[in-house]
Amino acid sequence: MPTISINLKDFSQLLGQGTITAERVEAWLPLVKGELKDHDHATGELRIELQDSNRPDLWSCEGIARQIRIALAGKAPAYPFFKAKRPTKRVMVSPGLEPIRPYVAACTAVGYRVTGEGLTQLIQMQEKLADIFGRKRRTVSIGLYRLPGIVFPVTYTLVKPDEARFTPLGFDEPMSLREILSVHPKGVEYGPILAGHDRVPLLRDAEGQVLSLPPVINSREIGEVRAGDAELFVEVTGTDLLMVILTLNILAANLADRGAAIEPVEVVYPSATTLGKTVRTPLDFAKARPIPVKTIEAALGKSFGATPIARALTAYGYRVKPSRETVIVKLPPYRNDLMHAVDVVEDVAISCGYGQFTPIMPSQFTVGGLSRVEQVSDRIRDLMIGLGFQEIISNILTSRQDLCDRMRLGNTAWSRLVEVDNAMSQSFSCLRQWIVPSLLRVESASTRVFYPHRVFEIGEIAVPDPADAQGARTVTALGGLIAHAGANFSEIHSCLDLLLFYLDYPYTLEPVAHPSFLEGRAGRVLSNGRAVGLIGELHPEVLEHWQIGMPSVIFELEVDPLAERS
Amino acid sequence: MSVDSSSLISSLHPLEIKVLLALRDAQGRGPMKENQLEQSAALEPSQLSMAVEWLLAKSLLSVASKKITPVVSLTKIGAQHFEKYAPIERILSTVCKASQTGKRLTIQDIQSQEGLEPTEVSGAVGCLKKEGAIRIVAGGHVESTGGASPTTEALRELLKQLHSTPRDLHAFPEPMRRVIEQHAVKRGNANEPFRIDDHVERAFALTPDGQSAADTLVQQGVADEVSQLSPELLKDGSWRTKRFRKYTISLRAPRIASGKRHPYREFLDRVKTKLVSMGFQEMRGSLIETEFWNMDALYMPQFHPARDIHDVYFVKEPTHASAIAEPFFSRVAAAHRDGGDTGSTGWGYDFNEERARRLVLRSQGTAVSARTLASGPNVPGKYFSIARCFRYDQVDATHATDFFQVEGIVLGQDINFRTLLGLLELFAREVAQAKEIKFLPAYFPFTEPSVELHVKHPRLGWMELGGAGLFRPEVTLPLGVDVPVIAWGLGLDRMAMVALGIHDIRDLFSSDLDMVRTTRGKF
Repeated sequence: MPTISINLKDFSQLLGQGTITAERVEAWLPLVKGELKDHDHATGELRIELQDSNRPDLWSCEGIARQIRIALAGKAPAYPFFKAKRPTKRVMVSPGLEPIRPYVAACTAVGYRVTGEGLTQLIQMQEKLADIFGRKRRTVSIGLYRLPGIVFPVTYTLVKPDEARFTPLGFDEPMSLREILSVHPKGVEYGPILAGHDRVPLLRDAEGQVLSLPPVINSREIGEVRAGDAELFVEVTGTDLLMVILTLNILAANLADRGAAIEPVEVVYPSATTLGKTVRTPLDFAKARPIPVKTIEAALGKSFGATPIARALTAYGYRVKPSRETVIVKLPPYRNDLMHAVDVVEDVAISCGYGQFTPIMPSQFTVGGLSRVEQVSDRIRDLMIGLGFQEIISNILTSRQDLCDRMRLGNTAWSRLVEVDNAMSQSFSCLRQWIVPSLLRVESASTRVFYPHRVFEIGEIAVPDPADAQGARTVTALGGLIAHAGANFSEIHSCLDLLLFYLDYPYTLEPVAHPSFLEGRAGRVLSNGRAVGLIGELHPEVLEHWQIGMPSVIFELEVDPLAERS
Repeated sequence: MSVDSSSLISSLHPLEIKVLLALRDAQGRGPMKENQLEQSAALEPSQLSMAVEWLLAKSLLSVASKKITPVVSLTKIGAQHFEKYAPIERILSTVCKASQTGKRLTIQDIQSQEGLEPTEVSGAVGCLKKEGAIRIVAGGHVESTGGASPTTEALRELLKQLHSTPRDLHAFPEPMRRVIEQHAVKRGNANEPFRIDDHVERAFALTPDGQSAADTLVQQGVADEVSQLSPELLKDGSWRTKRFRKYTISLRAPRIASGKRHPYREFLDRVKTKLVSMGFQEMRGSLIETEFWNMDALYMPQFHPARDIHDVYFVKEPTHASAIAEPFFSRVAAAHRDGGDTGSTGWGYDFNEERARRLVLRSQGTAVSARTLASGPNVPGKYFSIARCFRYDQVDATHATDFFQVEGIVLGQDINFRTLLGLLELFAREVAQAKEIKFLPAYFPFTEPSVELHVKHPRLGWMELGGAGLFRPEVTLPLGVDVPVIAWGLGLDRMAMVALGIHDIRDLFSSDLDMVRTTRGKF
């Protein structure tokens, strides 16, 4: 989730409580689910991580300051522009945008002269909203412009990539849209969002001047906001109407918090949207929702009554009407994260402070216990330790080289395993299908550790199985290994034999031709006619592959059949 | 005889006794040199040197004389020169041959023809010129004078004499010695054929104490001493007439290896025992899961950033599970689309059913909890799992690709926000021995309200111990559970690392047997 930088001085000004220390900011951060990551004492820069991915309104200096201001004042500030009279400026939407990027929202912000820090925050907010909330500009992207150069109405339209030219930010010469999409760094990065369409979206004003190629890049002429500008045009385009409007609402509230007068813009669509044919933005689309007081009280384990609940929610920015048994709540216009009553429940708790809730122990009696396979595993661990074996715990995600190639498995049935589609590196690309390679990995790294070596691991492996719904079974298996100058079949056989004697698990050995072992010195462990393991002397070539200079003998055994016996 | 000397004698090692007796036998002939002692005590050089050092330390032996002899031997370079001739020999022979055939050679020509270093050539040519064996004429050409070079001849003779065995420097006549010293390895000039080492030869004599110890040994008869009690000695009772050599018990014990649990297992076992004692039942799950159970059932929308290809490992073959059990599949899909029957608005997007069947490596232990919720769990009920999970992360000191997650659920009519805090308080006290705790608001897609548990660890200070919350109704209702459910997870790796004294998360699964054998947990 986003980590943002804020400046302590800028933050103090927005908060309006005089000079604030980093410690005080940190004490307020639970209100916004924020964590202070870093504090640069020299510059006054704070780095804050914001956890809630459904609260994009908090991903800015203005948003954090607002939530704290509301708590201090006990109620939300008024944003009169949501109820403003009929706008004078319009954005006209052309037909045909539906399959590409159908929605746009816009407003103007006048009277706030953008400061250096204000500009930094504006750019950061734009990036975080478009990148994380807007899913890398796919769902939502934002454009900021210098208002004086724009002649209304603005048109949101579709053009062929060779039909329009403009000078994009970061370049000096006019370029065709096709050139921008193939050459400009932002075109290369975000152009693929528009792939598969023969026309691309374009914003231009009444005189044909290009504002931007959404969601890729702004025009350099009017789309480059600088410190000192005091009249801005803000637009948001995207694929989800409510997300587009919500993003604009957040931007408008933030600019208003910095002193700008927001003037809404009317967006005229070629056909009706879920909000009508013309949509005035910013728009307060929050719906009132009745929440039973009982629901809140039951979830929090505390009796409040409707009035204190209403007070807590108002002090968190909600618009609330309490009655006896319900509170009718409405989110502030810069939020849209109320899916269920439980979302309101949490806001009540946060507004009151988690410290206000006395912990109590769950009172109902339950019986604890381990799974069968864990019980058997624990017994096996004890027995293996008694036999002198050191336990090992290994990574389960490893490589085909370790699991198959070094084991001489070639293209045999033994080499079938679960592979990862999007491996980051070959070293971590396959789930182990047996334990022995994990033990050899330890042997290989421990050739200078004094002998004899007796090691074992009991853990999970993934065995491909077409009959399984998931295509593979997770099996708990035991592997044991002995390495020293005189290690041989009979020594490891004695260990397996004694282990299975104590586990009361009758077995027989049957010769097996397995590429990892010396021929004639390997066996399959059978129990009740079922193959449950392997035992043998490892092939010298396997030891060479692992650069192990000591004779090594192993056994491997499935543990699940032992757990399945009651 | 005093008590002291009797205990001294009984602590003597058999090797020491051999040396003492050898010197006593040789009394009339004065001090003995090392090689003489080796012979008369019948010891290997290494055994002798051990015994001598012990006896010197006990003041039973003294060094009667010490003679330092310079000994000359061939270096590796010297051995090469013996086989393939020294630069000076090669240059002289090349020049003689050229003069016979009338060929004219410069110093450069010689250098490149013989493949020699400039310093080797200039040193050798200087010497040959000085001895009058060659001369340099107009045009820088080198000619043979037909005269002999004593140095070259001495060198050949020395290489011959020394290639099989090192010799005393003083065994050589003065002119030969000078050649050796000129061509011996010294500081700043390592590429020489000879090296001179000081050979120290010591002669030893018994001290008065040593003399009396040796006398006592002879009087008592050493044959009666034994080092190891044997079944035979016990059987015939002859141990009664034997003396048992006393050991130096302050020596370090020889190392042995034992079988034992892995140190990280000891830590996890302790956690496991705590949880069982608190009434939690263990759950197990599958390493390979569908996106449905790993995420959809937990109400993580399919567009959630943590479901990205850069966060989760996808299975190559097969890519999709054949089916997801109903009614869970339809109910969860509905919860995502429009809330279904959960009282929620849902995420309001087009739930992709194929995506739900996509197979991944389990990325969170909560997947196991989701399966438990769908399997008709006990109410009230407490469950936990210690599940291996996989994350698409660059591996480094703080990130592993697979790791254990400790987490679980609590179901019951009495479950609410305050019992959630009560449970976390219990975890803090029982698992982390923390007295001070703090609850902070948190965000997880599947819980609301959500809490982070911070504790003051006795050694680490304030740290996050875990995250928890009440499962959203969008999670529980589609899986058939209609009571409130706590979901909790503990982040124990940092505590484990402190308990085991390691600083790299990869060492929790170390391949170094020595490390696994010697790591001791402090729990």
